[in-house]
Amino acid sequence: MPNSQPILEVHDLHVHFKMLAGIVRAVDGVDFTVERGRCLGIVGESGCGKSVTARSILRLLPSSDTSGQILYHPDGDGQPIDLVGLDAKGDAIRAIRGKDIAMIFQEPMTSLTPVYTIGEQIMESIRQHQNLSEEESQELAISMLNKVGIPDAERRFADYPHQMSGGMRQRVMIAIALCCEPRILIADEPTTALDVTIQAQILRLIRSLQQDLDMSVIMITHDLAVIAQLADFVVVMYLGQMAEKAPVVELFQDPKHPYTQALLRSIVRPDTPPREQLHSISGSVPDPRNAPSGCRFRNRCPSVHDRCVEDPPVVEFGPQHSATCWLYVDD
Amino acid sequence: MSDTPILQVENLSKFFPVQRGLLRRTVGHVKAVNDVSFAVNKGECLGLVGESGCGKTTVARCLLRLVEPDQGRILLHGEQQTFDIASASRKEMLDVRRQMQIIFQDPFSSLDPRWRVTDVIAEPLMAQKVGRGEAGRRVLEILPTVGLGPHFADRFPHELSGGERQRVSIARALIVSPPLVVADEPVSALDVSVRSQIINLLLDLQSQMNLTYVFIAHDLSIVKHISHRIAVMYLGRLVELGTTQQVFEDCKHPYTKALLASVLIPDPTHREQSYVLEGEVPSPLNPPSGCHFSTRCPFAQEQCSAEEPELRDMGGGHWVRCHFAEELDLSEEIFAPQFDTPTASN
Ligand SMILES: Nc1ncnc2c1ncn2[C@@H]1O[C@H](COP(=O)(O)OP(=O)(O)OP(=O)(O)O)[C@@H](O)[C@H]1O
Ligand SMILES: Nc1ncnc2c1ncn2[C@@H]1O[C@H](COP(=O)(O)OP(=O)(O)OP(=O)(O)O)[C@@H](O)[C@H]1O
Ligand code: SF4
Ligand code: SF4
Ligand SMILES: [Mg+2]
Ligand SMILES: [Mg+2]
Repeated sequence: MPNSQPILEVHDLHVHFKMLAGIVRAVDGVDFTVERGRCLGIVGESGCGKSVTARSILRLLPSSDTSGQILYHPDGDGQPIDLVGLDAKGDAIRAIRGKDIAMIFQEPMTSLTPVYTIGEQIMESIRQHQNLSEEESQELAISMLNKVGIPDAERRFADYPHQMSGGMRQRVMIAIALCCEPRILIADEPTTALDVTIQAQILRLIRSLQQDLDMSVIMITHDLAVIAQLADFVVVMYLGQMAEKAPVVELFQDPKHPYTQALLRSIVRPDTPPREQLHSISGSVPDPRNAPSGCRFRNRCPSVHDRCVEDPPVVEFGPQHSATCWLYVDD
Repeated sequence: MSDTPILQVENLSKFFPVQRGLLRRTVGHVKAVNDVSFAVNKGECLGLVGESGCGKTTVARCLLRLVEPDQGRILLHGEQQTFDIASASRKEMLDVRRQMQIIFQDPFSSLDPRWRVTDVIAEPLMAQKVGRGEAGRRVLEILPTVGLGPHFADRFPHELSGGERQRVSIARALIVSPPLVVADEPVSALDVSVRSQIINLLLDLQSQMNLTYVFIAHDLSIVKHISHRIAVMYLGRLVELGTTQQVFEDCKHPYTKALLASVLIPDPTHREQSYVLEGEVPSPLNPPSGCHFSTRCPFAQEQCSAEEPELRDMGGGHWVRCHFAEELDLSEEIFAPQFDTPTASN
């Protein structure tokens, strides 16, 4: 990729939660780089640690035990900032949150406040980060609503969230996230709760805004089709660990990790012969508190062997392609 | 699969009153299901698709009389006798439930947390007044059919994964050996790696037991995979009905075309998404006049908002509700992207 510049580098991220029942290793050793103007996809099944990874970037998990590095490269020649080192309630992260890095959450209804109009909520976000007059803020808010495709934005400005459909609320969330022109947008399953036709609209919107604003996107999803359509680069997670990472075409055409391979085989494609048995992965994702030692996929892996009880190594297949698996190491 | 219908739904309607204010005055009706007709043949899988709120679950609930239909007949051709479910007596409904069972979408909320797996699965048998001992024996018989070991019998739902819970729901539906099973989004809540297991199980059971399915889902790729025929709904109306091939390769309703075009293809080398449908599903309380799709249809003409189209037979069992079904050219080019890069200026 020509002149790729990192904007966010995550190194050896671990996020653990101490619970009565034991430690939940929600994220255990994740590494990736987000490039300027590009889309990184994080894909994996329920509970694999996608949302925890996303939230830890913005330091939204104060009660967790977080280690590793999350290096944010601001514009210009400034030194990278290690977000993990910042006080989760301090001014430094607050200045970045919403301004440089913005997030759209999985469930738009819980992240919009029911008692304020959507106009007030966008204005509030503008006020936090920009020094604009009341009229200027309002103008900007309305133009953002227009930009995300809310028809009749001037009138909808005074609506409350419950007066809008799920798709419209998700657009409002995107408008709030984008009103300060963030450099990175983190989208956590932005379309999971939406219908297919609305999903297509929202994804197209994110893609075009990404190009217009030269923004980087971290797209989190369990849907490989969303990844195929949007991501430039992909991280596949399984039970808190990184199974594989690769440029999107390489991942789909030449997956290396048995989990990625099985996932890709199990999805229904336009040319899958009708009513024939689909490929499937035996068993189901275990409770993270009872995750197997060594390779966490080993109780479901068709290629499992003796060595897999030990932590598998990261094997490189190219400058940007690696898988965490014993399969490619000679003994 | 045969050509003999096991289920015939004729002009089924269900309108929910919408009440407002302190006095709960009825201010209107949601036409959740509006004059819907279709038949399902023995051994067939009929897929039912459409966007959220179009009435799929209400159709399913009417079929089992979990809600009372307002109009129409639901004929179930049983082994000995034909029932009209819409007007069946309590006693007849007991017989109906022996012939037709439902699997619900959410494997988490549809199982009573205080019941053990064995009691959950045995429940339809108890309703049929089968003795406890016999019921327990039949539960142990059915567990391996759905891929669960006997040790699952004594577990509670919270001790099961989502896929295991859905297997339990399937076992419960199948325990009375009903020839007909209505499955309302049976895999939507499941992880990708488990989804294909359950689809395989449903396919297996269908061929082993010659089951008939009404399969509801919003994931079109899965519906395409499992269904012989597909019915498409929009705002309470059936808008297209045909074989899977007719619907996927030669659809004649602009809404069906739009749905198919919004399916994301899991291939990064095919990114030219052909068409994005504009707008949203209008309020079901106040659907657009004439053709309900006219507010979003790129082909809409004057006639469309003035007159509601009938569901018409295009031949070969292909039914379409559009004034211009014969003339429209639903090729990709016409569905040019309309919602493209929003302009930054206004
Ligand atoms: N605040 C918390 N305290 C304790 N455990 C947590 C907390 N947040 C998340 N977890 C656990 O961490 C693991 C990863 O959760 P996470 O929400 O990141 O999953 P996910 O990949 O986003 O899943 P989904 O696809 O269901 O959204 C899960 O086992 C979850 O139960
Ligand atoms: N008990 C009820 N009382 C009032 N309105 C109802 C009731 N049940 C359903 N509706 C309304 O009827 C319409 C059809 O709902 P239904 O649940 O059948 O849709 P669906 O196609 O199953 O949607 P989804 O894909 O979201 O499950 C919706 O507008 C819904 O709000
Ligand atoms: S390390 Fe072993 S168990 Fe894990 S994915 Fe590789 S082969 Fe399978
Ligand atoms: S009747 Fe008119 S509005 Fe309705 S689908 Fe056909 S062309 Fe479109
Ligand atoms: Mg999540
Ligand atoms: Mg439903």
